[in-house]
Amino acid sequence: MWDSFLQGIMLSFGWQTIAMMALGVLLGILVGALPGFTTVMAMAILLPISFFLSPVVGIPFLIALTKGGIYGGSIPAILISIPGTGASVATTFDGPALTKKGQARKAMEMALFASFVGDMSSSVLTMLFIGPIALVALKIGPPELTALVLLSLIVISATCTGSLVKGLIMGVIGLLLSMIGQDPLGYMSRFTFNIFAIKAGIPMLPMLIGVFAIPEILTAVEKEAVSYISDKVDLSKVGERLKFKEFRRSFKTIMRSTGIGAAIGACPGVGQVVAAFVGYAAAVNASKHPETFGKGELEGVAAAEAANNAVNGPTLVPLLTLGIPGDNITAILLGAFIAQGLRPGPQLFAEQGPLMYAILMSMVIANVLFLFIGYLTIPLFARIVTIKKSVLLPLIAVFAFAGSYVYRSDPFDLIVLVIFGAFGYVCKKLHFDVTAMVMAFILWPILEYSFGQTLSLAQGNFFHYVAFDRPVAGLVFLITPVVSAFFWRKAMRKRHKPKT
Amino acid sequence: MKTKHIVQSILVVLLVGFLCIGPAIAADYPEKPITLIIPLGAGGSHDLNARVFTSVIPTYLGQPMVIKLMPGAGGQTGTAAAVRAKADGYTLIFTHNFIDQLQPVVEQLPYDTTKELTSVWRLNYGPPCFYGLADRPYKTLQEMLDYGKKNPGKLRFGTTGKWGAGFTPGAVVLTRAGVEAAFIPYQGGGPALQATLAGDVDFTVGFPAQGLPHLKTGKLRFYAVGAEKRLEEAPDVPTLPELGYPVGSLLMSRIILAPRGTPPERINILREAFKKLYQDKTFLSLMKNLGENIEFMDGPDYEKVRAEQKEEYTSLVKKITG
Repeated sequence: MWDSFLQGIMLSFGWQTIAMMALGVLLGILVGALPGFTTVMAMAILLPISFFLSPVVGIPFLIALTKGGIYGGSIPAILISIPGTGASVATTFDGPALTKKGQARKAMEMALFASFVGDMSSSVLTMLFIGPIALVALKIGPPELTALVLLSLIVISATCTGSLVKGLIMGVIGLLLSMIGQDPLGYMSRFTFNIFAIKAGIPMLPMLIGVFAIPEILTAVEKEAVSYISDKVDLSKVGERLKFKEFRRSFKTIMRSTGIGAAIGACPGVGQVVAAFVGYAAAVNASKHPETFGKGELEGVAAAEAANNAVNGPTLVPLLTLGIPGDNITAILLGAFIAQGLRPGPQLFAEQGPLMYAILMSMVIANVLFLFIGYLTIPLFARIVTIKKSVLLPLIAVFAFAGSYVYRSDPFDLIVLVIFGAFGYVCKKLHFDVTAMVMAFILWPILEYSFGQTLSLAQGNFFHYVAFDRPVAGLVFLITPVVSAFFWRKAMRKRHKPKT
Repeated sequence: MKTKHIVQSILVVLLVGFLCIGPAIAADYPEKPITLIIPLGAGGSHDLNARVFTSVIPTYLGQPMVIKLMPGAGGQTGTAAAVRAKADGYTLIFTHNFIDQLQPVVEQLPYDTTKELTSVWRLNYGPPCFYGLADRPYKTLQEMLDYGKKNPGKLRFGTTGKWGAGFTPGAVVLTRAGVEAAFIPYQGGGPALQATLAGDVDFTVGFPAQGLPHLKTGKLRFYAVGAEKRLEEAPDVPTLPELGYPVGSLLMSRIILAPRGTPPERINILREAFKKLYQDKTFLSLMKNLGENIEFMDGPDYEKVRAEQKEEYTSLVKKITG
């Protein structure tokens, strides 16, 4: 094994590999930064390139592309409040607020470093513990998933700020919206009122852009664009860099989020979105000043970004060890492998040891490249907010519409964007937080689907099945009320504490 | 007299003009990239097959084919878009028979695929394989079905996509054998395979590509291959027809369809280009790497298959749903 490890490292340091990876990172950042263009799309389009390259060049190229793309998605989230994917929704909690304070560059640097630390630690962990992670991943089935997502939901909602009733109302709206379309188990149409366009459900991307970006634009227009970035902000300060002190202050948060992200990554089917939300919620909960979160807290950006990037390493494990892709990104990577005649699976490490270690090593190299290239491109992006506001706001609107359309090229998505834009604006005026709605919208389908599967697996005897056949899931179910009680007590204590 | 002359000459000019335009349309096509709608998600077998042939076909077509993934509602979103598209040969759909012919039988759709789409080419087919953990007491398909019969509701079948390629073949075999099994739905072949490996379900129906590596390590057992021929990589595994189950409409044919009304000469240009693929070394080696067969079928032949499928699926659904 040591031999093939060393050979692998040698392989991965070829100049072609490095050059293509650098290109991949750069492309990824650019694609990720454009609203509506997703990393998955970029990978699918560029996949054929890898057919005609050697495997140690082509596959690392795609891996580099994903690393760049996932970070790239945080750029519009921070600068113009447009989350390109579900994974960067949590970044919009604090990112845009920082931009408005004139700390865009700082926020982006924090996102970059947090992403780097999260991804790097999880990649190294993955390399070291690929065997055990594979075992855990295989054991996580629908019952465990149900228990985990339920627990995550409680953790996330317990740390939500603002009015409980309003949060609940928004949560229920999100839940109902997520049920429109075909149910995940039996594929029966529900709440579609025979309208064909919504048979596939409400498209997530236009909805996200609608509720997050449009209200920002509208409120800015309303105030005659004076305050999208407050005039008091010294624009020459936009370029202000992240201080080491600030990074150090967030380091604990980054490590916590990395742990959470890596653990969630090892459970197939949960994914980056949940990781970012839970990472953020945990940071709020652990913080001594939770009230600063959501109002432009650097730690908030760090928490979300470290968590969603830490998912990347472990999600590769089922792909490499079993040949089972956990999400779209790994499914495309699987395509790249098999088009090369390499079939990921139990024998691949035995047959192609050096190559596999080269590919694992390339994850680490991709991270280093990503740190450099990302760092170099930040000043470029940060300048965006120095554009005159009367030009920037229409530009954001253009990006919001273009981004919604380009995803599926379906005109219906523009209607969705406008409706949710208006809805988001009304919510903002009435001080309803759309975040609860978005979380419910994203998480509910996972929960419904895995719970439904669990019920069919249990064949009508849910409690017996979970208690005796699925002890891990049972344990998590048992912990859940304890955790809820803990959060409830904490919230109560805070409420009774006199304000100082 | 003079006017007649003028009218005549105009007519001649027009006629000559039309004669020129006819071939000109054919010769000019394609003059811009062709959109290929895939009504399924990124990274699936359709996506991969399409990435392979679209990376080679520009050599023979003179223009690229651009893939547009339009997943949603089990393939309905993309199919509806293809039906709505202009019939000018610049929009095609790369789909499969379960979306094309089975879905209309089980769902109310705002379009009629048979009337509104026509076959251009069948790229290849995916043979549905029945596989499960090797540690189960039953060793053959028949033994497994017998076990299922003796223990109603105990046999767990991990399905993917209702009435799709990972559902229908299993449902047909179970119904014909009179077995009452538990259907556990999974979102895609990956999760279903994982559930099989973890022992959550007793068997699943999937394509060889994902299952074969685990057959080699001895973790999985293949009960049957849904194809006319046995798999080269697993010559010991019997085919469904050998076991007494006809396989015709259970294969997943990967097909390219065009909106009906697309000029026939344009469809012919497309067919010629597809035909040439099967002599292209890059295409053949990439398909081999993917583990896909190259059992193509020309459009007119496949059009007949579609008609048969329609009948078979109608009676099949009646039988299964009772």
